[in-house]
Amino acid sequence: MNRIILLAAAASAVVVSGYAVAGPERIAFPEGYQTKFVRYLEVDRPDRKIIRIMYVNPEANVLAKPNAEIPDGTVLIMEDRPAELDAAGAPKLTADGRMIATDKVGAVFLMEKHKGWGEAYSADKRNGDWDYAWFNGDGSRKADAKFDGCFSCHQSRDKRDFTFTYWKSVADGTHK
Amino acid sequence: MKPMGICAQLLAIGLAAAVGTAAEAAEITVTMAGGMFSPPTVKASRGDIIRFVNDDAQAHNIFVPTKGFSVDLGKQDPGKVTTLPVAKAGNFAVECVIKQGMTMTVEVNP
Repeated sequence: MNRIILLAAAASAVVVSGYAVAGPERIAFPEGYQTKFVRYLEVDRPDRKIIRIMYVNPEANVLAKPNAEIPDGTVLIMEDRPAELDAAGAPKLTADGRMIATDKVGAVFLMEKHKGWGEAYSADKRNGDWDYAWFNGDGSRKADAKFDGCFSCHQSRDKRDFTFTYWKSVADGTHK
Repeated sequence: MKPMGICAQLLAIGLAAAVGTAAEAAEITVTMAGGMFSPPTVKASRGDIIRFVNDDAQAHNIFVPTKGFSVDLGKQDPGKVTTLPVAKAGNFAVECVIKQGMTMTVEVNP
């Protein structure tokens, strides 16, 4: 009986705290995101010969306002795809100078925010209430993924709710 | 003097246009120093190349967040040069990934 009480108490503590455990495990891979999410930007990365496709979950996207904090529950995805290459190994370009993405997905990086998530991190590390996750192209979680680089790089955008593209897209009105 | 035939005239016009286009394409230099872009605004034409020179003591990273133009040119150490061809008309913003608030704008004419 005592063991049952202890187990129940432990379970309750996790539920009450909501997201007591920090880290990528609290972010689930969003199945079907390519069709269910809003694709709001493509970023060419010529030095790596990849295109980075940016998505946002539609239920949060409709709530986003220019120059305001990004809505709680927002899920941002950065999907890396190899570029089409010519015979010399250089990225092919459209008439507008844009790279062309292949259908292969190399990696899927997620940012997700929920109220209180940032409390799991020290003040000098936390990026508001965001956390990060890294998945392989097949949706499996990347083993031994490191996220210190995510936190430190996104720190440079603390005035844009720690995002490089989404905040700007909402401000420009190009996120829909 | 015998006047040029139609074909010769068309060929001459085409060659003039090609030479004219090549001559008009420019290389525009933007310097990064003191955590700022100089100049802060650039007017370019389609086909021009913007040349970013890092004259700063820290690394920078050219990033264009504007839809339709968006590109990340990667980390650029002090002393290095990176280039951005502009193939499309329109206006876009340029930022440094590393230094928040380091921004400039580019206006590309057709």
